[in-house]
Amino acid sequence: MAKLISDLRPVYVVGIGFHPYQRSSETSYVQLGLTAVREALADAGVSWEDVESSYVAHALLGMAAGRPMLRHLGDSGRPIVHIENASASGSAAVRHACMEVASGISDVVLAVGVDKRERPEVYRASTGLPDLAEDSILPFTHFALLTDEYVHKYGVTPEDMALVAVKNHANGAKNINAQRQKVRTIEEVMSRPISGSITALQCTPIGEGGAAVILASEEGIKRLGLDMGRAVRIASSAAGSERAGNNLNPDTALTADIMRLAIAQAQIAATDLEILEVHDAFSVEELLYAEAIGICKPGHYVPMLKEGAWNIGGHCAVSPSGGLLAMGHPVGPTGIGQVGEITRQLRGEAGARQHKNAKTGLAHMVGVGAVCYAHVLMK
Amino acid sequence: MTEEALALFQSEGTDQLPDNPALIGGGCDDCGYVFFPMQRYGCEKCGSTALRVKKLTGRGTLIASAFVHMPVGTPHEGPFWVGSIQTDDGAILRSILQVSEGAVLKPGTPMITKLVPETRPNHGAQDLRFMPAAD
Repeated sequence: MAKLISDLRPVYVVGIGFHPYQRSSETSYVQLGLTAVREALADAGVSWEDVESSYVAHALLGMAAGRPMLRHLGDSGRPIVHIENASASGSAAVRHACMEVASGISDVVLAVGVDKRERPEVYRASTGLPDLAEDSILPFTHFALLTDEYVHKYGVTPEDMALVAVKNHANGAKNINAQRQKVRTIEEVMSRPISGSITALQCTPIGEGGAAVILASEEGIKRLGLDMGRAVRIASSAAGSERAGNNLNPDTALTADIMRLAIAQAQIAATDLEILEVHDAFSVEELLYAEAIGICKPGHYVPMLKEGAWNIGGHCAVSPSGGLLAMGHPVGPTGIGQVGEITRQLRGEAGARQHKNAKTGLAHMVGVGAVCYAHVLMK
Repeated sequence: MTEEALALFQSEGTDQLPDNPALIGGGCDDCGYVFFPMQRYGCEKCGSTALRVKKLTGRGTLIASAFVHMPVGTPHEGPFWVGSIQTDDGAILRSILQVSEGAVLKPGTPMITKLVPETRPNHGAQDLRFMPAAD
């Protein structure tokens, strides 16, 4: 019979590291990734020799970028797997690293995401199928259409939707690893329209950066003498892909399905979540996914946002890192960075953006395709 | 016009709506799934390769719309409208819209197809738009 992650031996996040997310620069991807890995190794208190396997997530670097980066950590000869899964590449790397530890194949595994955009367009091979407007509906317009649908369905305003970005920019302003670190007013967020009511500050900035986590089993933690008090358990891991159907919003339908799996595996209720990092590349996504997760009823996210329910210190801190809107979305690192942020929060080490006494968090990413990943972390 | 563009629509309408261009969708003989555009790779629902052309009526209902202020990354030189539409046959698709200046589009607005002179490179002499039926 098929097993769930929660049926296998426990897996813990024991180290996290970042290279700050930033605009395109002259810094090589090798330096971006190594900075994150070295910080994660130091945070865990393990050496490179202790790492038995590595999963390297990237979507914009071409073929097999991992070995030219990781070789600078020393000669290990250990396995490297490259993972490309669009925006969810990093989340997929976490899942497969988790599976390797949970299965007992390895005790200590690295998941690292690194990316930088060296050309403006992203190459995707043609499927050979035509479409009426594929060259005219870019992601920001796809989400402008979903915003229009939501606004009419629930009787909220574009300004209400923009409050998501105001919240996340305020969180990003407290995060030294965020690409955008500036508090923004509603007037600033509503300026510079891009498509429909989506504005520039309601779109994620695609930049560059690195994020890494070290995962370990209890045996690995004991053998290496690591600090169990700072270890955060990955209580569940769920993944899926879009189902057939004429659905204009497959990401949300898929999110609802995957969240049910992740939350059931972790044996919690959605309303138990205290930290939520979602794929908020556009402001409307945060409320669509948060409602799909079940932290509130459909249509209730905006009124509760206005009451402060989703602020740090509120009912559930949503995107305390700043989310994709402010922390940024360098693609390969993003899902791993979410796990890093939740680990920091559950350890109580998040400083000015600490959500007090947080014990349970969920990381969620979708990727073009569509694919979806969710991980519940618990302390 | 490329083969791909030819496969999307035809100037003739369906029996139900003869005066408006039909969309060239498909149907699965095994499970009945209706899709757009037509393809022969296999049914997304059941995997069958028993697929046939099904012409979809050029009439539907607007689900959502957006005015694209910045056409960056698109073949358009200026702002344009796009919309999500559910056709009377049940297919859901997205299209560039042709609407009057100053128009306010609301969900539920009846929409119909119309052919316009090509406005995008490599889409042939004509391209398809949806427009409010009342215009």
